[in-house]
Amino acid sequence: MMTKQNIYSILQVYGLLAVLSLFATPAYTAKVSVYKNETSGLLTWTSEDEGFSIELIQLLPDFVRAIYAKHNFPADEIERIASYCVFGTILKNTSDQQMKYYVKNWRYQAKDEDSRPGRLRPVKTKTQWLDEWRRAGITFSWTLLPDAGEFEVGDWQQGFTTIELPRETAFDLIYKWQLDGVAHSGVLEGLKCAPENITE
Amino acid sequence: MKIFNLIVILLLPLAASADWQQPELSHNLTEIKKAITASDFELLNMDEEPVRLSDYKGKVVLLNFWATWCPPCIREMPSMERLYQQVESDSFDVLAVNQMESIDDVFAFSGQLAVDPTFTIAFDSTSEVSRDYAVRGLPTTYLIDKKGNIRYRAVGGREFDHPEVIKIINQLIAE
Repeated sequence: MMTKQNIYSILQVYGLLAVLSLFATPAYTAKVSVYKNETSGLLTWTSEDEGFSIELIQLLPDFVRAIYAKHNFPADEIERIASYCVFGTILKNTSDQQMKYYVKNWRYQAKDEDSRPGRLRPVKTKTQWLDEWRRAGITFSWTLLPDAGEFEVGDWQQGFTTIELPRETAFDLIYKWQLDGVAHSGVLEGLKCAPENITE
Repeated sequence: MKIFNLIVILLLPLAASADWQQPELSHNLTEIKKAITASDFELLNMDEEPVRLSDYKGKVVLLNFWATWCPPCIREMPSMERLYQQVESDSFDVLAVNQMESIDDVFAFSGQLAVDPTFTIAFDSTSEVSRDYAVRGLPTTYLIDKKGNIRYRAVGGREFDHPEVIKIINQLIAE
């Protein structure tokens, strides 16, 4: 039976929630789409969030090898980056404000052996790759998604994102961006690393 | 190396075709509120002759940083050529600064374009110039006024022969 005290407590909780909702970022449901390239079978995920769009395109390891071989990378460095799960990534500012992102704030999460969510791991940044490449005597500094971006209206960028997971592993990507200084975050669920080869 | 070049050519359409090229090119240019002086540089052009930014003083210059492996760079290049053809050449020029590729690479690439670029292509073989210009990703483009100040910036591919862009360029020419 509801006592006056219980009703009062419930009203207090709802009142608190109502106040908290005033300070929360307005809810925005991202539009996520998955596209399959009929020729290659490779997948592309696109998420249209508030003022920010992210597109991740599966890339075959041989494509990655070819890109870096063309830039005269040593064989071991070519294999090292091709061993990662590499996605072509397109980021767009779809707002009418300044948009910023920092890859260092992005995380990914695959399931563990028991199909439970594994630990959140940071996405490797371009700076980390360039440090490693410099130590290997490589001066080439392009193709990877820049670590940070300050995009004005209409700006967009693309580059490779590298995820350290085995071929065909499923994972979620948690990404963050700022619109006019206000922090936002989104999740792309069920992304999948490309296979070693195109399968029929 | 040739086999890898062949793989790139064969796989690029598979990995990239519709996917990498989907975003529509906009025509927005961001005005730089506080004018920045564009640093001078000297690079080689396709004929291995020196090109300096200061050679263009007195002209409005569209300074574009690009590479042949960069899909939006390839997409925006025809619009740069159309722009170059449309705007009076005594007052305006296009300078496309390639990043870390060889003259042979670019020569082969330009042969595959529907329209051969007639504007100047220069080679930033160490990416030193792009670092000076704080270029984080390709393509990045700056619009420089007749006094050598950076006035507008665009990150990502653009449709440069859009009337709004031509209007901005003509305004800078008229200053």
